[in-house]
Amino acid sequence: MGIFLDILLCFGVVLAQATFSTLLSAKGIYPDLCFILACVMGFYSGEHKGLMIGLTVGLFQDIFTPGGIGINMILKGLAGGLAGVTTHTFSTVTSLAIMLVTFALSLGCGLASLVVAYPVIDAPILFHALSSGLFPQGLYNSFLTLGIFWFIRYIGPSLSMVHLGRGTR
Amino acid sequence: MLRSEPNFPISTSLRRVLGVIFILFLALLLFLPRQSQEWLSHVGGPFARILEAPLHVVASIQNSIRHAWGHYIALQNVWEENQQLQQEIQRLQGEQNLFREQTIITSQFQQLLAYQETTPMTTLPARIIGRNVSNWYRAMIINKGNQDGIRPEMGVITHAGVVGRVVRVNPTTAVVLLLSDPNVAITGMVQKSRDEGLVQGTPQGPIHMKYLPPLSPVQPGDPVVTSGLTDDFPRGLQIGRIRQVTKADTDLFQLGEIDPIVDFAKLEAVLVITSFQPVLPSSSPKPPASPSP
Repeated sequence: MGIFLDILLCFGVVLAQATFSTLLSAKGIYPDLCFILACVMGFYSGEHKGLMIGLTVGLFQDIFTPGGIGINMILKGLAGGLAGVTTHTFSTVTSLAIMLVTFALSLGCGLASLVVAYPVIDAPILFHALSSGLFPQGLYNSFLTLGIFWFIRYIGPSLSMVHLGRGTR
Repeated sequence: MLRSEPNFPISTSLRRVLGVIFILFLALLLFLPRQSQEWLSHVGGPFARILEAPLHVVASIQNSIRHAWGHYIALQNVWEENQQLQQEIQRLQGEQNLFREQTIITSQFQQLLAYQETTPMTTLPARIIGRNVSNWYRAMIINKGNQDGIRPEMGVITHAGVVGRVVRVNPTTAVVLLLSDPNVAITGMVQKSRDEGLVQGTPQGPIHMKYLPPLSPVQPGDPVVTSGLTDDFPRGLQIGRIRQVTKADTDLFQLGEIDPIVDFAKLEAVLVITSFQPVLPSSSPKPPASPSP
């Protein structure tokens, strides 16, 4: 039942990304809801859950993305896993840790996606992508992840139905 | 319990006599001539005036209460009716909005269908059901897929012009990469000067027309159409208009920047080109038929 709900959640987030993410657009920057889901799961439930949710939501995202199948799956899986590892092994789950880790992971995933999407990339394009895409999106993802994380933590007990159990500290 | 006695006791017989006299007086009043009745009226007038004032007051209060009650009841009904009408208005506004939306969508589809009927291409209409699942591609998802005959590399257009190209096909959906994405490149032609170039999106946003001949007299505002050299688009479909042309001293070719004819952000329905008959440019007119000997 838990796995089924997790899959349903991933599918819902991909649908939201395809349909409602434009409503969250700020000056042309969209939040990557799939990435945020993977990170939140990693922060909240640990690296294993983060990895699995990241892989699943990435696979679903790949189905509706022009790039090759597997890119988002690997990146989101890594993001979820690393989010869990960094905040449960090397650090405690604080606001600053969540923001820094999410920003770094968003930047890493963005750069990897950029290289895959535009194999021939020169310095001006890279600078433009960093300044107008990767950094703003990293910040946007970080703030949104932080907000969602604390929101879920606040109402966590009432969300036990969706198996958002706390991971190891 | 002691019963208080009156100060001037009246005997029972006297009471009877007085009662009889009173009845006789009343009977006599009925049979008195009209003048006597008027005299009695004059006598009773002041008493009537005294009684009239409170009577009017009581009557007006009663009237006011009746009116107030009537208004209250009426207002209650009006309030309820108002609530019902408000709900009705909201429902009708919702329906009107739905119909307006349906009308717009129908109008768009009618335009597409009208174009579909007039164009020699075989096309399939599709609705856009999603956009930009990833931040790194400018793409959209349409509601037609493998089962409907959609294949990768098929061109996507509207009645206005070129939209993009199908890059991924699922059973019932397909992913279309927009013309503004750097991964899409189609061959274009400046309609006036007939110069050809490669139309391609850029990561920064604008659409470029590359490899324009250095001596091409391209001007801002010139329309750009498909040249038909690739397999996915026939010749002559509108792409956009030249916004500006640049050429650095070290460049071999001119570079045009294009304003696309299609507003990608407002697209709701498209046509997928499933097949078309390539029309090659006729270089020379046909010679007139010679008369048979």
